Amino acid sequence: MSLQTHQPDTATPPIATPSAAAGSRPPLPKDPQRHRKRALWGTAAVVIVILHLLALEGTGFEPVLLVEGWQGMARFIADSFPPSLDWEGVIAPGLEATLVTLWIGLLGTTLSVPTALLLAVLAARTTTPHRLAYQVSRSILSFFRAVPDIVFALIFVTAVGLGPFAGVLALICHNTGVMGKLWAESLEETDQGPQQALSTTGASRLQQIAHSSLPLVTPQFVGLLLYRFDVNVRSSLVLGLVGAGGIGLLINQAIKSFQFDAMLSHIIIVLVLIIVVDQASAFIRKRLSL
Amino acid sequence: MARDRYSPPALGVSGLTKSYHGRPVLKGVDFQVECGELVAFLGANGSGKSTTLKCVAGLAEPDAGTIRLQGTELSGLSGKTLAAARSQAAMVFQKIHLVPRRTALDNVCAGALARTSGPASLSPLFFSRALREEALDCLDRVGLADRALEKVGRLSGGQQQRVAVARALCQRAGVLLADEPVSALDPNAAEHIMALLAELAHTHQLAVAAVLHQPALAQRHADRAIGLLHGRIVFDGPAAGLGADIQDQLYSPERTSAA
Repeated sequence: MSLQTHQPDTATPPIATPSAAAGSRPPLPKDPQRHRKRALWGTAAVVIVILHLLALEGTGFEPVLLVEGWQGMARFIADSFPPSLDWEGVIAPGLEATLVTLWIGLLGTTLSVPTALLLAVLAARTTTPHRLAYQVSRSILSFFRAVPDIVFALIFVTAVGLGPFAGVLALICHNTGVMGKLWAESLEETDQGPQQALSTTGASRLQQIAHSSLPLVTPQFVGLLLYRFDVNVRSSLVLGLVGAGGIGLLINQAIKSFQFDAMLSHIIIVLVLIIVVDQASAFIRKRLSL
Repeated sequence: MARDRYSPPALGVSGLTKSYHGRPVLKGVDFQVECGELVAFLGANGSGKSTTLKCVAGLAEPDAGTIRLQGTELSGLSGKTLAAARSQAAMVFQKIHLVPRRTALDNVCAGALARTSGPASLSPLFFSRALREEALDCLDRVGLADRALEKVGRLSGGQQQRVAVARALCQRAGVLLADEPVSALDPNAAEHIMALLAELAHTHQLAVAAVLHQPALAQRHADRAIGLLHGRIVFDGPAAGLGADIQDQLYSPERTSAA
């Protein structure tokens, strides 16, 4: 046998080619789902691209404008530098208003706890006493969630006048919707075993919820509560712009009277407030999970 | 076990049938468990052991048949009377099902919820002194009195299962149902729990029905064994008589077509 022919040695196994392997096992089955899935993904991609083109058109999204107009922005920022350090006229009222903003966020969160808790228990499939209660409470939560807090604020201003009280009422309404939904979801995700175990002891439904469902979700509930407090403090800034008081109102007034340096001071105060709230809630959440 | 000729068995089940989605799981099951005996339920997966216990505990609704707890028939009862009758049977689960963030003592107290009312029934902060004392007694009976204030999540699997047994004791039930109580435990902890269940049956006159997966555990600890195959009882006799032939019948692959 000549060296050039390069016959395979009988001692070494032949390299498994696909066709060789196919002999010993059933052939690759035809998956009819593959074509369908491909068509589905392709269609989804086309639809998403079309939606984005329409959205870019509809919002007048033109980066050229931003590039051409950067001087305007630079002038605005330059005008507001340096931030005003006037204690009497700017900083002291700013701090006071910041405190009001914080109070609006706090009450808007805590005062919505009872309603959110009740609706969450009724709106979680695992704890609801009845299908009807489930449907009704889901609808109530959806409504409060769908109406933006700023709309609630405008409505309450007509009843209680301009000021922080209207802001608190607005946040209570919107936050009930959002927190109730989030809580209901964490109730549904929690382990049903302990609740089932209590049901076999003869405990009532309310007792099962009080002694198993709620203690099991407490960390998630508190985490979500702190997260909502964080969001609500920021929302109360925006509510200030429509007359609900607080630092948002001062920022709006500063802009309207061209006191850009005062505006910058207020924005810096707001930044500090948000960082403090964020860090504090992160700290508490971390301690809680231990 | 010796008992008064006229006193009813702690747990009596007859003609129990149950199907899930048209697939029959129990095809007429009859048995009794007396006070003071530990009965092991054996059988392959899908033979109907767990479903039997679930029907007794009210976690599954039987299609037909009667269940008597301490002489009271359950069918026909509803609402509070049913809950009261059901509280005569306590259940212990494979997955333990305690609240890990609460202390062992609080978890045990929760076994007594059916007979508490007012604020005490809604928060452990208001559990009465008497209830807490009783719960500690129950923990003492499972050998965990010294861990009463420990959070359950920090205890070992075997200790958690003992807390679950203590909760069942605090329920003051005459019948203790245990659904695979040792399947998630290591061999030592499993032996410990089975010895505890046998002791509770023998010295505290509880009727204990335990679903087990290991015939050897049944032979060592149970007084009687009941073997199920495809939803029917094919063996009911002393656990010591659980020979290789019966085990073959219960677990051989040709006979147990179920998953």
